[in-house]
Amino acid sequence: MIKRVFQIIRPEGKWKIAASVIGGAFLGIAIYLFIVSNASSYLSDDPATCVNCHLMSPQYSTWYHSSHREVTNCNDCHVPHNNVINKYFFKAKDGLRHATVFTLRNEPQVIFIKSAGIKVVQENCKRCHEKLNENTELKNLTGEKYLRGEDKVCWSCHREVPHGRVNSLSSTVHTFAPLPEDIKLKK
Amino acid sequence: MEQNQNIKKKGWVNWILFFATIIIVFLLGMLANSVTQRRTEARLVNTPKVQIKDYEPRNKIWGENYPREYQSYLLTADTGFRSMFNGSGLTDMLELNPKMVILWAGYAFSKDYNQPRGHYYAVNDVRMTLRTGSPLKPDEGPQPSTCWACKSPDVPRMMNEVGISDFYKAKWAFYGPEIHNPIGCADCHDPKTMKLRISRPALIEAFQAMGKDINKVSHNEMRSLVCAQCHVEYYFKGDGKYLTFPWEKGTTVEKIEEYYDSYQFKDWEHALSKAPMLKAQHPDYELFTMGIHAERGVSCADCHMPYISEGGQKYTNHHIQSPLNNINASCQVCHRESEQTLVKNVYDRQIKNAELREKAEQLLVKAHVEAKAAWDAGATETDMKDILQLIRQAQWRWDFAVAGHGSSFHAPVEVARILGNSIERVQEARVMLAKLHAKLGIKEVKYPDISTKDKAQAYIGLDMKKLKEEKEVFVKTVLPEWDKKAEERESKW
Repeated sequence: MIKRVFQIIRPEGKWKIAASVIGGAFLGIAIYLFIVSNASSYLSDDPATCVNCHLMSPQYSTWYHSSHREVTNCNDCHVPHNNVINKYFFKAKDGLRHATVFTLRNEPQVIFIKSAGIKVVQENCKRCHEKLNENTELKNLTGEKYLRGEDKVCWSCHREVPHGRVNSLSSTVHTFAPLPEDIKLKK
Repeated sequence: MEQNQNIKKKGWVNWILFFATIIIVFLLGMLANSVTQRRTEARLVNTPKVQIKDYEPRNKIWGENYPREYQSYLLTADTGFRSMFNGSGLTDMLELNPKMVILWAGYAFSKDYNQPRGHYYAVNDVRMTLRTGSPLKPDEGPQPSTCWACKSPDVPRMMNEVGISDFYKAKWAFYGPEIHNPIGCADCHDPKTMKLRISRPALIEAFQAMGKDINKVSHNEMRSLVCAQCHVEYYFKGDGKYLTFPWEKGTTVEKIEEYYDSYQFKDWEHALSKAPMLKAQHPDYELFTMGIHAERGVSCADCHMPYISEGGQKYTNHHIQSPLNNINASCQVCHRESEQTLVKNVYDRQIKNAELREKAEQLLVKAHVEAKAAWDAGATETDMKDILQLIRQAQWRWDFAVAGHGSSFHAPVEVARILGNSIERVQEARVMLAKLHAKLGIKEVKYPDISTKDKAQAYIGLDMKKLKEEKEVFVKTVLPEWDKKAEERESKW
């Protein structure tokens, strides 16, 4: 199958060598990009991945100093867990948006969660805290209702959970956040 | 034949493929380069390039060591921003509100008063205003050298050379060739440690007068106090025109008034009502401390020079400006509402206070004209004494509340309280004036037409044409001399 596809796109005669060189260059630079951007880490659940671009350092630090550090990572709250396909679809969609904004140097100084994220986080609050809220009916709160202005979400009241109240990109800049692996200072 | 055509066709497609690949590989290369760069930048730290000497007034020299701060400082040259009531460009306030010409009759502010521009223009704009007159010689002109005090980092340099009180004593024109660089780095920073530093003696002396030690404040307080070196109520004390903040008894409008009253100080005698007037400068800091943000420990720099992050490096944005032009990095750091909502919250407060301001101004104009009518009909000093005191108090309150451009947001409740008291006092004065008019037999007072700045200035007898012509001569002959001397001096450093 792969061989047949290859044969179709491979040019005839005098173009053969040129095509191999260009194709090789193309593939080589793609592999280089894959390595320098640490692309495989984006498939993992490691929170250090989310500070690859040093934009999420305040979010990383505040989480790191919160009680949620003991039981959650970024993905536990920020990607959906209703099924595996949805999880990776959402992760890819959100990740590509972040990558685009970061590459274009378009990041705002203060980051707000978008409406898709609100729905996901709210569901994830309930995923773990459902038993706690059974009697108070708070488990009926949803991101959708909140966005229509009909109800609250968990963090409307629990405002400091878990990222605190000061939200600038530079707000927690002197706290510990891991630097990307390959450029860490050698001691 | 058929095969031949096929090869030809395929060749054409291949060329497209070839060039498309070049473009894609090129872009991929750029992306890879960007990724590498952005992963490294978090580790890069600025290394100083030049040694900055003490009292170095040239901002661009500091800029060589601190390019991010300097480049953002240069943005204070931008004049394009307008909010509902203020902006970053020069706006002729007397044209916008000719009532102020009447309120300041007999005082330099009735000649010329603009909404200020950014720090970048500090020296230029004080040279160009009609208030500083048109001195052709170093010992001429209406203003003392004290008027330079807040305009330039050349001021601490000169104070260090000639002494503080000698600096204030001279005429404004005397130090014209020396004061060259606009407000900048050395006004707030120690050149060796870059720590915030108070460079103006007036603030240090004001703290001493209140029994406080300015060396014992926190860094966060310094992030407001460096602004309070200038953005405060001040006056020129005595014949030496010594720059003084009237804070000895306290910093509220009443306490400062008590201080001025304690030795019958007046800035000028009003040209119409002959009331002994006080002019509030811009008590931005005093009123800011009465507001909720100050109470919660927010400093001036938090909103006017918010921290920003660029490539993983945190630095202070030195584009000092209205936070309304940068809601994201200022308000939204703490307030999670949308920009639209936050702007509305600011405007709501400003609009309500502007309503009170307008009322106070209308009544004050009437009071001055009515007092003049009383004098003209033969009123005596004893008749007028209490009335003039009330006018002084009312206008002092109005001026204190509105002279700082941000006050109706910084401390909306305090500003409303002050304006309410101003209105009460001026109305009290007008009730007394009405009684006096009845006694003197005045049936009707003719209020002047002050619908434009020109009409208002003509009414109080200002010869604006002459003032402007003199300024033109000053700008053409004196200013080039000042600049030449300054550039010669700096080229030798």
